[in-house]
Amino acid sequence: MSTVNTTLDVSAPKRERKIAARIWSQAFASIEFKIGMVVFIILLLLAIFYPWLSGIDPLKMDIRGKLAPPLFIGEGWTWANPLGTDQLGRDMLSRSLVGLRYSLLIGVSTTILMVCVGAMIGLFAGYFGGKVDTVLMRLTDAQLSIPMIILAITILGVSRPTIPSIIIVLGLAGWPVYARIMRSTVMSERKKEYVRGAQVLGATDWRIMFTLILPLVLPPIAFVAVLDIARMMIFESVLGFLGLGVQPPTPTFGNIIADGRKYLINAWWIATMPGIFLVLTLTSINLMGASLERARNAIYGGA
Amino acid sequence: MAFVPVALLQTYSEVPMFVVRFLVRRLLQGALIVFLVSALIFTLLRVVPGDPVRLMAGGMAPEALIEKIALEMGLRDPIYQQFGRYIGGVAQGDLGQSFVRPANGAAVGGASFDDNTRAARAEVWDLIAQTAPMTLQLALLAMVFALIVAIPIGVAGGLRPGKWPDRLALYLSSVFISLPNFWLGIVLALLLSVKLNLLPAIGYNGFAYTILPALVLSVEIAPFIIRTLTVSVANVMGQNFIDIAAVRGLTRNQIIFRHALKNSAIPLLNLLGVQFSMLLGGVLVIEFIFDYPGLGRLTINAVMQRDFPLIQGIAIVTAAAFVLINIVVDLCATAIDPRLDY
Repeated sequence: MSTVNTTLDVSAPKRERKIAARIWSQAFASIEFKIGMVVFIILLLLAIFYPWLSGIDPLKMDIRGKLAPPLFIGEGWTWANPLGTDQLGRDMLSRSLVGLRYSLLIGVSTTILMVCVGAMIGLFAGYFGGKVDTVLMRLTDAQLSIPMIILAITILGVSRPTIPSIIIVLGLAGWPVYARIMRSTVMSERKKEYVRGAQVLGATDWRIMFTLILPLVLPPIAFVAVLDIARMMIFESVLGFLGLGVQPPTPTFGNIIADGRKYLINAWWIATMPGIFLVLTLTSINLMGASLERARNAIYGGA
Repeated sequence: MAFVPVALLQTYSEVPMFVVRFLVRRLLQGALIVFLVSALIFTLLRVVPGDPVRLMAGGMAPEALIEKIALEMGLRDPIYQQFGRYIGGVAQGDLGQSFVRPANGAAVGGASFDDNTRAARAEVWDLIAQTAPMTLQLALLAMVFALIVAIPIGVAGGLRPGKWPDRLALYLSSVFISLPNFWLGIVLALLLSVKLNLLPAIGYNGFAYTILPALVLSVEIAPFIIRTLTVSVANVMGQNFIDIAAVRGLTRNQIIFRHALKNSAIPLLNLLGVQFSMLLGGVLVIEFIFDYPGLGRLTINAVMQRDFPLIQGIAIVTAAAFVLINIVVDLCATAIDPRLDY
């Protein structure tokens, strides 16, 4: 019996871990990734420190200083409000940056939730196969054909949106993609010798799934998820724009832009300035995500 | 004797047997999915707080009247009974009547509680049928715009992987995908409509009103086409038959158009199937911003007004459209590449 063990290729997990590291270093070597990362870090630092260090309260109204234009544009601009003020005299820069905080918070937590749900479903479907697989995959198919946007605005439209409910609704909308990727990876993984070796040695299914397979297959999937952070941030801002996101007075990109739309002719900066921050953040995340995805595809050799 | 028609079909019809079997299987699966979607959305709408009758009858209506209307409409029955009635109607092609919209169009009811008999409410099916063509027009124009932009960029990127056209494709699609549709819509309306007076933006009064919304929607679609094209063209160009085509004396342009683009058609078709719901999300928001009278604006209004039958009807119709589009996509894919088997 001992010969069985010696022929098993138990080194597979280590090799796979190296793949994750290779994807990372290959992506990191590209210019796109570096540009994205630098822009992202600058925006992140601004979002964390500016509202705090400048001491400007994004909720503080100043009716006399309302609708002030951004720096060097028109008349009435001040150094105190570099991006101008809104219809209630609130500072646009700090409002945009607080909006960015919420956007990132919701984008990242939603993506984590979505990857977790999808990965669990894919892991069970791929590992156990058979009936479990059939049921879970039918569920995934059904979910994919539900117009999720309608479901999301319906749920949030008829209940009062809060940060947790937004995260849950968006997270439940996006998991099927991850369930599919996870399932196919796990299916190929479970045929490998290290899994059979562990089974021969008496490891429980639970243990194999969570301590052997999951840590291996999760990192490459997490790389794909970077792109979804941006997608979810857009989704969150759309909800905010429709009045179904985090509610005012908390500033979010969506509700600032929705407000600014009413003042578009007299004060175009209210609707456009927060959008520039959002677009910069999204572009930086998408550049990093796209180069990670390319590196992953190049290494896995598939499309 | 039951197999006779099938045998006839096999002998006399142009349609191969496997296509018929494929259609039957997929349509049955599709019907199941549409059923699941309706059950889900129906339950959800009844579980969440908020009484639609209150909205229909108006805030001033007495409590007793609210209860009376609710009872008449069967809204106090157990959910499964309501659902049974509803799905029975759907099976016969009846999506029910809108809670708040009167049949004569224009005005949105709900303000007064003593008129608006039930018979005068608009049929959900009519509301959808009126607005769907507008949305289709918008989506098709957007698709045309997106293809015009994406094909040159995507093909160029795929022909020179790792070189500057490829990088340009990556940068452009990363920027496009980072432009939130509602923000882009506002900025373009400000620039093209308010400042330059080039295109009309709000409402609908002729084809010109479709251009700006379609432009915004196409920016949302283009990055997916660019990425799919770059990857698939690069893959095809690396294959043996491309080298052989060159030996056969085909010019580079002939190779690109006959082989590379034709082979990229399948991933593009699949993309259309997969990205249908994304397209829908975009349509929703864009129609809302530009006040474009399509299915998207109808949906948003239905949600805002808690018009349950209308929300359900839209969800069912879009789920059915999704199922059908995916069947058509798979059929087209087998027609293009007979090796595929579904």
